[in-house]
Amino acid sequence: MFDGLILLSNGVAHFLTLESLFNLAWATLLGIVIGALPGLTATMGVALLVTLTYKMAPDQAILTLMSVYIGAIYGGSRPAILLAIPGTPASAATALDGYPLAQQGKAGLAMGIATTSSALGTLVGIFFLALVAPLLAEFALRFGSYEFFWLALFGVVISGRLTAVDNPIKGYIAGILGLLVAMVGMESLHAHQRFTFGLRQLGAGIDIIPAMVGAFGLAEILTVMKRRFAPKIVSSTDRVIPRIGEVAKHWVTTIRSGLIGTIAGIIPGVGEDIGAWASYAAARRASKEKEKYGKGSIEGLVAAETGNSAVVPGAMIPTLTLALPGSAAAAVLIAAMFIHGIRPGPMIMTETPEVLYQIVGILLLSTIAIMIYGLSLTRILVKVLVVPREKLMPVVYVLCVVGSFAITQRMFDVYVMIAFGIIGFILREMKYPMAPLVLGIILGELLDVNLRRGLLLTDGDVTPFFTRPISAVLWIVILMTVLMSIPRINGFVTGLFRSSSPDNGKAG
Amino acid sequence: MSEHASDTTEQDNLDTPAAIKADLLAGMFFLVLGLVIAYLSWDMPRLETRRIHPATIPGLVPGLLGGALALCGFLLALSSARAAPLASGWKTFGHRFVGAEAKRVLALAGMVLVYSLGLIGWLPFWLATGLFVFVAIVAFEVWLNDAPAPLARSLIWAAVQAVIVAGAVTFVFERGFLVRLP
Repeated sequence: MFDGLILLSNGVAHFLTLESLFNLAWATLLGIVIGALPGLTATMGVALLVTLTYKMAPDQAILTLMSVYIGAIYGGSRPAILLAIPGTPASAATALDGYPLAQQGKAGLAMGIATTSSALGTLVGIFFLALVAPLLAEFALRFGSYEFFWLALFGVVISGRLTAVDNPIKGYIAGILGLLVAMVGMESLHAHQRFTFGLRQLGAGIDIIPAMVGAFGLAEILTVMKRRFAPKIVSSTDRVIPRIGEVAKHWVTTIRSGLIGTIAGIIPGVGEDIGAWASYAAARRASKEKEKYGKGSIEGLVAAETGNSAVVPGAMIPTLTLALPGSAAAAVLIAAMFIHGIRPGPMIMTETPEVLYQIVGILLLSTIAIMIYGLSLTRILVKVLVVPREKLMPVVYVLCVVGSFAITQRMFDVYVMIAFGIIGFILREMKYPMAPLVLGIILGELLDVNLRRGLLLTDGDVTPFFTRPISAVLWIVILMTVLMSIPRINGFVTGLFRSSSPDNGKAG
Repeated sequence: MSEHASDTTEQDNLDTPAAIKADLLAGMFFLVLGLVIAYLSWDMPRLETRRIHPATIPGLVPGLLGGALALCGFLLALSSARAAPLASGWKTFGHRFVGAEAKRVLALAGMVLVYSLGLIGWLPFWLATGLFVFVAIVAFEVWLNDAPAPLARSLIWAAVQAVIVAGAVTFVFERGFLVRLP
């Protein structure tokens, strides 16, 4: 217990240096600007920044990337409130009540509440990160090849199911495509080259960073530039700093949304957008003023912003302890950690326990930075929103080229970025989610190696994959998830519960 | 704003005839792709000469994934075929490729490809970047815009921005972050 507290205070103190505070300050601000600019997402920002942080010391690089991530998730609330266009998908639920508030002349209050809610959401998430991550890491030490195989499959299936609510098959297809991308190149069990088609550059596989820069950078640029109409800004000059009472009034919503956001973060590949929507829906269900939702409800705004911000620390739980990305941006963070010689996974608490607490420290410090920026830089941030996309997007594409080239310094990675950008754009247009695709690329090797290693250990017998306790839980959850995404089975099960429930009228 | 909103809603509706047809084609594509991958995996060397365990052959996982992709593709195509008559909806599907939005996407994709595959390597990076930024800004401000900006003004400001971006990116990345540029 005390060891944990000491490690935690060391984690914060570690970054109380001039260099760290400088990096924290510019990276959080850059993150907010990236999040505020419609078309630039948190994932894209983090992916592009990997290049810039390549030569930094590992702790400073992770500090910079995390600060950009947190800043961007918060920054997305600005255009959601002032333009009704979420700066990042994470802020889509914010727009529902934020924009009506702005139209009522309460843009300042909406921005202030969004800021405090984001900070409180991150704090709730940090609490659970510090509490759950060490326990999960210890528990995960029991995992063998069988469990890791199921865990990889679990990540892709759950992410596919929850990010493509309307048509889960599209989520599964995106996940499978990601896993297949990971099959390209030399496999690590027998050093055999798969699907390289004689291309020497494919021997080492497809690098995650250019793939992400394409899927989240170029694809986003094409999506933004496709639209013919640019949105109009709504702003007002009312007070930004909310009264303590205005924030404290919603403490139940804050805690509930923080919890829901954290859980959404823990679930692999389910990101900030789902966290925000889920906590918004839960707050609305529990609210005494349901009719105000969508028309400028402060409570709704609190739920959305707390929910999306709590996902960030929540996502770090599986990211650090299982190397299973909790969100798309966390997938980039895993790639960046490997680049800098940090190995996330169950051994993290044994090998480098300080990393976990340093990340908690980073989250705390960047939350403070967000509060300072969010409540003071209102006017300047509004100016960011009026930068025309025609002037901005070409520059962003130049950064995509530099970002994908710079790490390994080969043009092949730029071609990978373009291919992923164009394919990603087409998939997005057809409503395929990107998160399972990315998760698939990250988890492909884990799935492949652990299935075959497990089979080698059992001499080809698949029984342990199904009978070991943790494995059994995982495959049953996977099976249930897949079965429940079949409309007929889902309808049958829902009907079964409805008919057995005594107050079935209230069930919906 | 409302115009934009309605435009988006129409495009985003999952049940539009165009979206159903797109799903049908995509489903068939994934079915074929999955089968091709499964075949390639089956055909992959099984490394018998190295006496590896037959349950660890390199083609095992890609083969399973190919099969899963084919199954998902089949199910997607099947549900789309059931959602609407096969003969209807192709016209609205075709409209997706000829409207103003399609033109904007194709124009940008073209510029991106010319810049990345042609100009970079042929010209110095700063010059290629400047040219790309200049052309992209002018094209989207003047020709591909419902409210076009005056040509002369756009040309001047785009040139200024192109010079600044080309210079700043080259300087910041090469000198500041010690990164090599293409």
